[in-house]
Amino acid sequence: MENAAYAGLSRQMTLRRELDIVANNIANADTTGFKVEQLLLGEEVGERARNAFIRPGVSFVMDNGIGRDFSQGALEQTGRSLDFAIEGEGAFFALKDGNGDAYTRDGAFTLDPEGRLTTQGGAAVQGDGGDIVLDPLLGQVAVAADGTISQNGQPVGRLSVVRFDTLAVLEKGGDGLYRNASNAAPAAANDVQVRQAMLEGSNVNPILEITNLIEIQRAYESVTRMIENTNDLSRRAVERLGRAA
Amino acid sequence: MRALRTAASGMAAQQLNVEVISNNIANMNTVGFKRQRAEFQDLLYQNVERMGAQSSSQGTVVPTGIQIGAGVKAGSVYRVVEQGTPTQTGNRYDMAVDGRGYFQILMPSGETAYTRAGNFSVNGEGQLVTDDGYAVQPNISIPQDAIDVSVSKSGQVQVITQGETEPQIVGQIELASFFNEAGLEAIGDNLLLETAASGPANVGSPGEVGFGELLQGYTEASNVDAVAEISALIIAQRAYEMNSKVITTADQMLSVAGQVKS
Repeated sequence: MENAAYAGLSRQMTLRRELDIVANNIANADTTGFKVEQLLLGEEVGERARNAFIRPGVSFVMDNGIGRDFSQGALEQTGRSLDFAIEGEGAFFALKDGNGDAYTRDGAFTLDPEGRLTTQGGAAVQGDGGDIVLDPLLGQVAVAADGTISQNGQPVGRLSVVRFDTLAVLEKGGDGLYRNASNAAPAAANDVQVRQAMLEGSNVNPILEITNLIEIQRAYESVTRMIENTNDLSRRAVERLGRAA
Repeated sequence: MRALRTAASGMAAQQLNVEVISNNIANMNTVGFKRQRAEFQDLLYQNVERMGAQSSSQGTVVPTGIQIGAGVKAGSVYRVVEQGTPTQTGNRYDMAVDGRGYFQILMPSGETAYTRAGNFSVNGEGQLVTDDGYAVQPNISIPQDAIDVSVSKSGQVQVITQGETEPQIVGQIELASFFNEAGLEAIGDNLLLETAASGPANVGSPGEVGFGELLQGYTEASNVDAVAEISALIIAQRAYEMNSKVITTADQMLSVAGQVKS
Protein backbone atom coordinates (compact mmCIF):
# COMPACT_ATOMS: atom_id res chain seq x y z
CA MET A 1 0.00 0.00 0.00
CA GLU A 2 0.85 3.62 -0.28
CA ASN A 3 3.25 5.03 2.29
CA ALA A 4 1.50 8.39 2.12
CA ALA A 5 -1.72 6.84 3.39
CA TYR A 6 0.10 5.23 6.31
CA ALA A 7 1.92 8.44 7.19
CA GLY A 8 -1.40 10.29 7.02
CA LEU A 9 -3.07 7.67 9.21
CA SER A 10 -0.37 8.02 11.86
CA ARG A 11 -1.07 11.75 11.96
CA GLN A 12 -4.82 11.24 12.14
CA MET A 13 -4.44 8.93 15.11
CA THR A 14 -2.29 11.39 17.01
CA LEU A 15 -4.68 14.23 16.15
CA ARG A 16 -7.56 12.26 17.65
CA ARG A 17 -5.52 11.79 20.80
CA GLU A 18 -4.56 15.45 20.88
CA LEU A 19 -8.24 16.33 20.63
CA ASP A 20 -8.99 14.08 23.63
CA ILE A 21 -6.32 15.88 25.64
CA VAL A 22 -7.47 19.36 24.62
CA ALA A 23 -11.06 18.36 25.51
CA ASN A 24 -9.85 17.28 28.95
CA ASN A 25 -7.97 20.56 29.41
CA ILE A 26 -11.05 22.60 28.52
CA ALA A 27 -13.34 20.45 30.69
CA ASN A 28 -10.95 21.16 33.58
CA ALA A 29 -10.57 24.88 32.89
CA ASP A 30 -12.29 25.52 36.23
CA THR A 31 -10.80 22.65 38.27
CA THR A 32 -8.82 23.68 41.34
CA GLY A 33 -5.11 22.98 41.00
CA PHE A 34 -5.43 21.38 37.55
CA LYS A 35 -2.30 21.42 35.38
CA VAL A 36 -2.60 21.65 31.63
CA GLU A 37 -1.37 18.76 29.49
CA GLN A 38 -0.19 18.38 25.97
CA LEU A 39 0.79 15.47 23.76
CA LEU A 40 4.46 15.19 22.90
CA LEU A 41 4.93 14.17 19.29
CA GLY A 42 8.01 12.80 17.64
CA GLU A 43 9.15 11.60 14.29
CA GLU A 44 9.33 7.84 13.92
CA VAL A 45 11.60 7.02 11.02
CA GLY A 46 10.39 4.03 9.02
CA GLU A 47 12.68 1.05 9.32
CA ARG A 48 14.21 -0.29 6.17
CA ALA A 49 15.12 -3.85 6.93
CA ARG A 50 11.99 -5.16 8.59
CA ASN A 51 9.54 -3.58 6.24
CA ALA A 52 10.89 -3.76 2.78
CA PHE A 53 8.17 -1.84 0.97
CA ILE A 54 8.66 1.23 3.11
CA ARG A 55 11.36 3.23 1.40
CA PRO A 56 13.80 5.30 3.46
CA GLY A 57 12.72 8.83 3.93
CA VAL A 58 9.23 7.98 5.10
CA SER A 59 8.58 8.78 8.71
CA PHE A 60 5.52 8.56 10.82
CA VAL A 61 4.15 10.64 13.65
CA MET A 62 4.44 9.00 17.05
CA ASP A 63 3.13 10.23 20.36
CA ASN A 64 5.74 9.31 22.88
CA GLY A 65 4.37 10.95 25.98
CA ILE A 66 2.41 13.77 27.44
CA GLY A 67 3.92 16.88 28.91
CA ARG A 68 2.37 18.54 31.94
CA ASP A 69 2.85 22.21 32.40
CA PHE A 70 3.35 22.59 36.16
CA SER A 71 3.43 26.38 36.08
CA GLN A 72 1.58 28.33 38.72
CA GLY A 73 -2.18 28.77 38.35
CA ALA A 74 -3.89 32.02 39.33
CA LEU A 75 -4.62 32.38 43.04
CA GLU A 76 -8.25 33.00 43.82
CA GLN A 77 -9.39 34.44 47.12
CA THR A 78 -12.15 32.38 48.75
CA GLY A 79 -12.27 33.76 52.29
CA ARG A 80 -12.56 30.26 53.74
CA SER A 81 -10.03 29.53 56.47
CA LEU A 82 -9.44 25.90 55.42
CA ASP A 83 -8.62 26.74 51.78
CA PHE A 84 -4.92 26.70 50.98
CA ALA A 85 -2.90 27.42 47.87
CA ILE A 86 0.76 26.80 47.21
CA GLU A 87 2.62 29.72 45.70
CA GLY A 88 5.63 28.26 43.94
CA GLU A 89 5.89 25.74 41.15
CA GLY A 90 6.27 21.98 41.38
CA ALA A 91 5.41 21.56 45.06
CA PHE A 92 2.48 19.59 46.47
CA PHE A 93 0.53 19.01 49.66
CA ALA A 94 1.34 15.52 50.93
CA LEU A 95 -1.72 13.32 51.57
CA LYS A 96 -2.37 9.79 52.76
CA ASP A 97 -5.41 7.71 51.85
CA GLY A 98 -6.43 4.07 51.57
CA ASN A 99 -4.17 3.62 48.54
CA GLY A 100 -1.06 5.06 50.13
CA ASP A 101 0.63 8.39 49.57
CA ALA A 102 -0.86 11.00 47.26
CA TYR A 103 0.01 14.54 46.32
CA THR A 104 -2.22 17.45 45.34
CA ARG A 105 -2.28 21.15 44.50
CA ASP A 106 -5.97 21.35 45.41
CA GLY A 107 -5.98 22.79 48.92
CA ALA A 108 -9.74 22.99 49.54
CA PHE A 109 -9.50 21.05 52.79
CA THR A 110 -12.09 20.28 55.42
CA LEU A 111 -12.27 18.61 58.82
CA ASP A 112 -13.60 15.12 59.36
CA PRO A 113 -15.82 14.30 62.39
CA GLU A 114 -12.71 13.68 64.50
CA GLY A 115 -11.18 17.02 63.58
CA ARG A 116 -8.57 15.62 61.18
CA LEU A 117 -7.70 17.88 58.26
CA THR A 118 -8.69 16.07 55.05
CA THR A 119 -9.33 16.77 51.39
CA GLN A 120 -12.91 16.94 50.14
CA GLY A 121 -12.39 13.35 49.04
CA GLY A 122 -11.39 12.24 52.55
CA ALA A 123 -7.62 11.78 52.13
CA ALA A 124 -5.79 12.84 55.31
CA VAL A 125 -3.56 15.88 54.89
CA GLN A 126 -0.10 15.15 56.20
CA GLY A 127 1.86 17.36 58.52
CA ASP A 128 5.42 17.04 59.69
CA GLY A 129 4.29 14.50 62.28
CA GLY A 130 1.54 12.64 60.42
CA ASP A 131 -2.14 13.61 60.37
CA ILE A 132 -3.09 17.14 61.38
CA VAL A 133 -5.80 17.34 64.03
CA LEU A 134 -7.49 20.64 64.75
CA ASP A 135 -9.87 21.47 67.59
CA PRO A 136 -12.39 24.08 66.47
CA LEU A 137 -12.93 25.04 70.11
CA LEU A 138 -9.40 26.44 70.20
CA GLY A 139 -10.38 29.26 67.88
CA GLN A 140 -9.52 30.51 64.44
CA VAL A 141 -7.08 28.55 62.31
CA ALA A 142 -4.20 30.64 60.99
CA VAL A 143 -1.57 29.35 58.61
CA ALA A 144 1.78 31.01 58.08
CA ALA A 145 3.54 31.14 54.73
CA ASP A 146 5.82 28.24 55.74
CA GLY A 147 2.77 26.04 56.44
CA THR A 148 2.78 26.36 60.25
CA ILE A 149 -0.77 26.05 61.53
CA SER A 150 -1.65 27.88 64.69
CA GLN A 151 -4.80 28.33 66.72
CA ASN A 152 -5.02 31.21 69.16
CA GLY A 153 -1.33 31.89 68.67
CA GLN A 154 -0.34 28.34 69.61
CA PRO A 155 1.32 26.29 66.84
CA VAL A 156 -0.55 23.00 66.38
CA GLY A 157 1.22 21.52 63.36
CA ARG A 158 2.81 22.22 60.04
CA LEU A 159 1.49 21.36 56.59
CA SER A 160 3.89 19.12 54.75
CA VAL A 161 4.66 20.63 51.35
CA VAL A 162 6.93 18.46 49.22
CA ARG A 163 8.51 18.30 45.80
CA PHE A 164 10.20 15.70 43.63
CA ASP A 165 13.51 15.94 41.82
CA THR A 166 11.72 15.18 38.61
CA LEU A 167 8.03 15.78 38.11
CA ALA A 168 7.87 13.02 35.50
CA VAL A 169 7.54 10.42 38.28
CA LEU A 170 4.06 11.67 39.10
CA GLU A 171 1.07 9.88 37.69
CA LYS A 172 -2.37 11.45 37.72
CA GLY A 173 -4.90 9.46 39.68
CA GLY A 174 -8.02 11.54 39.08
CA ASP A 175 -9.79 13.49 41.87
CA GLY A 176 -7.00 16.06 41.63
CA LEU A 177 -4.49 13.59 43.11
CA TYR A 178 -1.06 12.63 41.86
CA ARG A 179 0.62 9.38 42.79
CA ASN A 180 4.30 8.60 42.87
CA ALA A 181 5.02 6.03 40.16
CA SER A 182 8.65 5.52 41.11
CA ASN A 183 10.81 4.88 44.16
CA ALA A 184 11.96 8.47 44.31
CA ALA A 185 11.27 10.00 47.72
CA PRO A 186 9.91 13.53 47.92
CA ALA A 187 11.80 16.23 49.79
CA ALA A 188 10.39 19.13 51.79
CA ALA A 189 9.90 22.23 49.64
CA ASN A 190 11.07 25.14 51.74
CA ASP A 191 11.17 27.72 48.97
CA VAL A 192 7.40 27.89 48.39
CA GLN A 193 4.72 29.73 50.30
CA VAL A 194 1.38 28.48 51.58
CA ARG A 195 -1.44 30.99 51.23
CA GLN A 196 -4.48 30.68 53.44
CA ALA A 197 -8.07 31.43 52.31
CA MET A 198 -6.96 31.09 48.70
CA LEU A 199 -7.19 28.38 46.08
CA GLU A 200 -5.08 27.87 43.00
CA GLY A 201 -7.11 27.92 39.82
CA SER A 202 -6.27 25.67 36.90
CA ASN A 203 -3.47 26.92 34.64
CA VAL A 204 -5.42 26.17 31.47
CA ASN A 205 -5.23 29.07 29.04
CA PRO A 206 -8.65 28.97 27.34
CA ILE A 207 -7.59 31.01 24.31
CA LEU A 208 -4.63 28.75 23.65
CA GLU A 209 -6.78 25.64 24.01
CA ILE A 210 -9.46 26.91 21.62
CA THR A 211 -6.71 27.78 19.13
CA ASN A 212 -5.32 24.27 19.52
CA LEU A 213 -8.79 22.95 18.90
CA ILE A 214 -9.08 24.82 15.60
CA GLU A 215 -5.60 23.75 14.57
CA ILE A 216 -6.36 20.11 15.31
CA GLN A 217 -9.57 20.24 13.34
CA ARG A 218 -7.98 21.86 10.29
CA ALA A 219 -4.99 19.52 10.37
CA TYR A 220 -7.33 16.56 10.57
CA GLU A 221 -9.27 17.83 7.57
CA SER A 222 -6.17 18.39 5.48
CA VAL A 223 -4.68 15.00 6.37
CA THR A 224 -7.98 13.40 5.44
CA ARG A 225 -7.87 15.26 2.13
CA MET A 226 -4.34 14.04 1.57
CA ILE A 227 -5.41 10.44 2.17
CA GLU A 228 -8.31 10.96 -0.22
CA ASN A 229 -5.99 12.33 -2.90
CA THR A 230 -3.57 9.45 -2.45
CA ASN A 231 -6.44 7.05 -2.78
CA ASP A 232 -7.62 8.86 -5.89
CA LEU A 233 -4.17 8.71 -7.39
CA SER A 234 -3.86 4.96 -6.99
CA ARG A 235 -7.38 4.42 -8.34
CA ARG A 236 -6.60 6.44 -11.45
CA ALA A 237 -3.32 4.59 -11.85
CA VAL A 238 -5.15 1.28 -11.78
CA GLU A 239 -7.73 2.56 -14.29
CA ARG A 240 -5.09 3.81 -16.72
CA LEU A 241 -2.97 0.70 -16.40
CA GLY A 242 -6.09 -1.32 -17.12
CA ARG A 243 -6.77 0.71 -20.27
CA ALA A 244 -3.24 0.26 -21.58
CA ALA A 245 -3.63 -3.49 -21.36
CA MET B 1 -14.72 9.49 20.33
CA ARG B 2 -13.58 10.27 23.83
CA ALA B 3 -13.47 14.06 23.31
CA LEU B 4 -17.26 14.19 22.95
CA ARG B 5 -17.85 12.60 26.35
CA THR B 6 -15.05 14.59 27.97
CA ALA B 7 -16.62 17.84 26.78
CA ALA B 8 -20.05 16.64 27.89
CA SER B 9 -18.68 16.08 31.40
CA GLY B 10 -17.34 19.65 31.27
CA MET B 11 -20.75 21.01 30.28
CA ALA B 12 -22.49 19.01 33.03
CA ALA B 13 -20.00 20.34 35.59
CA GLN B 14 -20.56 23.94 34.52
CA GLN B 15 -24.30 23.44 34.63
CA LEU B 16 -24.00 22.29 38.24
CA ASN B 17 -21.80 25.31 38.90
CA VAL B 18 -24.50 27.64 37.55
CA GLU B 19 -27.11 25.90 39.71
CA VAL B 20 -25.02 26.44 42.84
CA ILE B 21 -24.33 30.08 41.92
CA SER B 22 -28.01 30.77 41.19
CA ASN B 23 -28.99 29.31 44.57
CA ASN B 24 -26.46 31.63 46.23
CA ILE B 25 -27.82 34.66 44.40
CA ALA B 26 -31.42 33.67 45.18
CA ASN B 27 -30.54 33.47 48.87
CA MET B 28 -28.60 36.71 48.96
CA ASN B 29 -31.07 38.19 51.46
CA THR B 30 -31.76 35.03 53.44
CA VAL B 31 -30.92 35.47 57.12
CA GLY B 32 -27.97 33.32 58.20
CA PHE B 33 -27.50 31.77 54.74
CA LYS B 34 -24.02 30.46 53.97
CA ARG B 35 -22.93 30.54 50.37
CA GLN B 36 -21.94 27.32 48.66
CA ARG B 37 -19.09 26.59 46.34
CA ALA B 38 -18.77 23.83 43.76
CA GLU B 39 -15.36 22.15 43.77
CA PHE B 40 -14.32 20.31 40.64
CA GLN B 41 -11.88 17.45 40.24
CA ASP B 42 -10.46 15.71 37.22
CA LEU B 43 -11.95 12.33 36.37
CA LEU B 44 -10.11 9.06 35.90
CA TYR B 45 -7.07 8.85 33.68
CA GLN B 46 -6.51 6.12 31.16
CA ASN B 47 -2.94 4.96 30.82
CA VAL B 48 -2.44 4.59 27.08
CA GLU B 49 1.26 4.15 27.59
CA ARG B 50 2.31 3.64 31.16
CA MET B 51 5.17 5.72 32.41
CA GLY B 52 8.15 3.66 33.40
CA ALA B 53 7.26 0.95 30.87
CA GLN B 54 10.20 -0.58 29.05
CA SER B 55 10.59 0.92 25.62
CA SER B 56 13.45 -1.28 24.41
CA SER B 57 15.33 -4.43 25.25
CA GLN B 58 18.22 -2.20 26.40
CA GLY B 59 16.19 -1.26 29.45
CA THR B 60 15.21 2.26 28.44
CA VAL B 61 11.91 3.34 29.95
CA VAL B 62 9.12 5.67 28.85
CA PRO B 63 9.77 8.84 30.83
CA THR B 64 6.31 10.37 30.98
CA GLY B 65 3.85 7.95 29.43
CA ILE B 66 0.55 8.91 27.93
CA GLN B 67 -2.32 9.43 30.31
CA ILE B 68 -5.56 10.67 28.85
CA GLY B 69 -8.12 12.19 31.18
CA ALA B 70 -11.80 11.46 30.91
CA GLY B 71 -13.05 14.92 31.88
CA VAL B 72 -14.24 16.57 35.04
CA LYS B 73 -16.63 15.84 37.88
CA ALA B 74 -18.04 17.75 40.81
CA GLY B 75 -15.81 16.85 43.75
CA SER B 76 -18.07 18.45 46.32
CA VAL B 77 -20.40 21.36 46.89
CA TYR B 78 -19.58 22.76 50.28
CA ARG B 79 -20.82 25.58 52.45
CA VAL B 80 -18.40 28.40 53.10
CA VAL B 81 -19.05 29.03 56.78
CA GLU B 82 -17.46 32.45 57.12
CA GLN B 83 -19.25 35.08 59.17
CA GLY B 84 -22.04 37.11 57.58
CA THR B 85 -22.46 40.79 58.42
CA PRO B 86 -24.63 41.45 61.48
CA THR B 87 -27.53 43.66 60.41
CA GLN B 88 -29.41 45.81 62.88
CA THR B 89 -33.13 45.09 62.95
CA GLY B 90 -34.27 46.65 66.22
CA ASN B 91 -36.40 43.61 66.97
CA ARG B 92 -35.61 42.54 70.53
CA TYR B 93 -36.02 38.84 69.79
CA ASP B 94 -33.56 38.91 66.89
CA MET B 95 -30.14 37.50 67.64
CA ALA B 96 -26.97 37.09 65.63
CA VAL B 97 -24.00 34.92 66.57
CA ASP B 98 -20.74 36.78 66.14
CA GLY B 99 -18.32 33.88 65.77
CA ARG B 100 -18.81 30.13 65.86
CA GLY B 101 -21.92 28.31 66.97
CA TYR B 102 -25.45 27.42 65.95
CA PHE B 103 -28.77 27.97 67.70
CA GLN B 104 -30.48 24.70 68.63
CA ILE B 105 -34.05 24.24 67.43
CA LEU B 106 -36.46 21.48 68.49
CA MET B 107 -38.18 20.09 65.39
CA PRO B 108 -41.77 18.76 65.57
CA SER B 109 -40.28 15.29 64.98
CA GLY B 110 -38.32 15.58 68.23
CA GLU B 111 -34.98 15.95 66.41
CA THR B 112 -32.68 18.85 67.11
CA ALA B 113 -31.89 21.10 64.15
CA TYR B 114 -29.28 23.84 64.04
CA THR B 115 -29.45 27.29 62.51
CA ARG B 116 -27.58 30.56 62.20
CA ALA B 117 -30.80 32.44 61.51
CA GLY B 118 -31.66 34.17 64.77
CA ASN B 119 -34.82 35.95 63.67
CA PHE B 120 -36.93 34.61 66.54
CA SER B 121 -40.30 35.62 67.94
CA VAL B 122 -42.48 34.49 70.84
CA ASN B 123 -45.52 32.27 70.44
CA GLY B 124 -48.86 32.34 72.27
CA GLU B 125 -47.32 30.75 75.36
CA GLY B 126 -44.48 33.24 75.50
CA GLN B 127 -41.97 30.67 74.26
CA LEU B 128 -39.05 31.80 72.08
CA VAL B 129 -39.61 30.20 68.64
CA THR B 130 -38.39 30.44 65.03
CA ASP B 131 -40.41 31.83 62.13
CA ASP B 132 -41.97 28.40 61.73
CA GLY B 133 -42.91 28.16 65.40
CA TYR B 134 -40.25 25.61 66.37
CA ALA B 135 -38.99 26.13 69.91
CA VAL B 136 -35.46 27.35 70.58
CA GLN B 137 -33.56 24.96 72.90
CA PRO B 138 -33.17 25.17 75.84
CA ASN B 139 -36.73 26.46 76.28
CA ILE B 140 -37.04 30.12 77.11
CA SER B 141 -40.38 31.54 78.24
CA ILE B 142 -40.96 35.25 78.38
CA PRO B 143 -43.55 36.18 81.06
CA GLN B 144 -46.65 37.93 79.78
CA ASP B 145 -46.06 40.98 81.95
CA ALA B 146 -42.50 41.55 80.72
CA ILE B 147 -41.90 45.13 79.65
CA ASP B 148 -38.42 44.67 78.34
CA VAL B 149 -36.27 41.71 77.34
CA SER B 150 -32.53 41.81 77.15
CA VAL B 151 -30.12 39.15 75.95
CA SER B 152 -26.55 39.47 77.10
CA LYS B 153 -23.51 38.67 74.98
CA SER B 154 -23.14 35.43 76.90
CA GLY B 155 -26.71 34.41 76.13
CA GLN B 156 -28.42 35.20 79.43
CA VAL B 157 -32.05 36.25 78.89
CA GLN B 158 -33.36 38.77 81.40
CA VAL B 159 -36.74 40.45 81.64
CA ILE B 160 -38.04 43.43 83.54
CA THR B 161 -41.62 42.91 84.59
CA GLN B 162 -44.27 45.48 85.40
CA GLY B 163 -43.58 47.18 88.72
CA GLU B 164 -40.16 45.59 89.21
CA THR B 165 -36.85 47.38 89.04
CA GLU B 166 -34.57 44.34 89.26
CA PRO B 167 -34.20 42.36 86.04
CA GLN B 168 -35.14 38.71 86.37
CA ILE B 169 -33.24 35.86 84.64
CA VAL B 170 -35.61 33.67 82.60
CA GLY B 171 -33.19 31.51 80.67
CA GLN B 172 -29.85 30.94 79.03
CA ILE B 173 -29.36 30.50 75.29
CA GLU B 174 -26.87 27.79 74.38
CA LEU B 175 -25.05 27.26 71.12
CA ALA B 176 -23.79 24.11 69.42
CA SER B 177 -20.51 23.80 67.54
CA PHE B 178 -19.16 21.06 65.29
CA PHE B 179 -15.77 19.85 64.14
CA ASN B 180 -16.83 20.01 60.52
CA GLU B 181 -19.55 22.62 60.07
CA ALA B 182 -19.52 22.14 56.32
CA GLY B 183 -20.65 18.54 56.92
CA LEU B 184 -24.05 19.58 58.33
CA GLU B 185 -27.00 18.62 56.16
CA ALA B 186 -29.21 21.50 55.01
CA ILE B 187 -32.92 20.64 55.15
CA GLY B 188 -34.30 24.00 53.99
CA ASP B 189 -36.00 26.65 56.14
CA ASN B 190 -32.50 27.78 57.23
CA LEU B 191 -32.15 24.58 59.26
CA LEU B 192 -29.28 22.12 59.36
CA LEU B 193 -29.03 18.61 60.76
CA GLU B 194 -26.12 16.80 62.37
CA THR B 195 -24.54 14.07 60.20
CA ALA B 196 -21.77 11.53 60.54
CA ALA B 197 -19.54 13.94 58.61
CA SER B 198 -20.17 16.93 60.87
CA GLY B 199 -19.37 15.06 64.08
CA PRO B 200 -21.46 15.32 67.26
CA ALA B 201 -22.68 18.67 68.55
CA ASN B 202 -20.65 20.31 71.27
CA VAL B 203 -22.94 22.52 73.37
CA GLY B 204 -21.76 25.59 75.25
CA SER B 205 -22.72 29.11 76.22
CA PRO B 206 -22.03 32.06 73.93
CA GLY B 207 -18.75 33.77 74.70
CA GLU B 208 -17.06 30.61 76.01
CA VAL B 209 -13.84 29.50 74.33
CA GLY B 210 -14.73 28.34 70.83
CA PHE B 211 -18.16 29.99 70.76
CA GLY B 212 -19.18 33.36 69.39
CA GLU B 213 -21.02 36.05 71.28
CA LEU B 214 -24.67 36.98 70.83
CA LEU B 215 -25.84 40.30 69.49
CA GLN B 216 -29.38 41.20 70.41
CA GLY B 217 -31.39 43.25 67.92
CA TYR B 218 -29.28 42.02 65.00
CA THR B 219 -29.59 39.22 62.49
CA GLU B 220 -26.75 37.73 60.51
CA ALA B 221 -26.98 38.58 56.82
CA SER B 222 -26.04 35.96 54.24
CA ASN B 223 -22.35 35.85 53.34
CA VAL B 224 -23.10 35.90 49.61
CA ASP B 225 -20.95 38.43 47.76
CA ALA B 226 -23.01 39.56 44.78
CA VAL B 227 -20.02 40.75 42.74
CA ALA B 228 -18.12 37.50 43.26
CA GLU B 229 -21.19 35.45 42.33
CA ILE B 230 -21.83 37.39 39.14
CA SER B 231 -18.23 37.04 38.01
CA ALA B 232 -18.38 33.31 38.84
CA LEU B 233 -21.52 33.15 36.70
CA ILE B 234 -19.74 34.75 33.75
CA ILE B 235 -16.79 32.36 34.09
CA ALA B 236 -19.17 29.38 34.24
CA GLN B 237 -21.01 30.52 31.13
CA ARG B 238 -17.82 30.96 29.12
CA ALA B 239 -16.49 27.59 30.27
CA TYR B 240 -19.77 26.02 29.19
CA GLU B 241 -19.45 27.63 25.76
CA MET B 242 -15.88 26.41 25.34
CA ASN B 243 -16.92 22.84 26.12
CA SER B 244 -19.71 23.06 23.55
CA LYS B 245 -17.08 24.26 21.06
CA VAL B 246 -15.11 21.06 21.72
CA ILE B 247 -18.23 19.00 21.00
CA THR B 248 -18.77 20.86 17.71
CA THR B 249 -15.14 20.31 16.70
CA ALA B 250 -15.16 16.63 17.60
CA ASP B 251 -18.41 16.23 15.70
CA GLN B 252 -17.01 17.93 12.60
CA MET B 253 -13.89 15.78 12.72
CA LEU B 254 -16.05 12.66 12.94
CA SER B 255 -18.07 13.85 9.98
CA VAL B 256 -14.87 14.47 7.96
CA ALA B 257 -13.78 10.91 8.73
CA GLY B 258 -17.17 9.63 7.72
CA GLN B 259 -17.10 11.35 4.34
CA VAL B 260 -13.80 9.97 3.09
CA LYS B 261 -14.33 8.78 -0.47
CA SER B 262 -13.07 5.27 -1.06
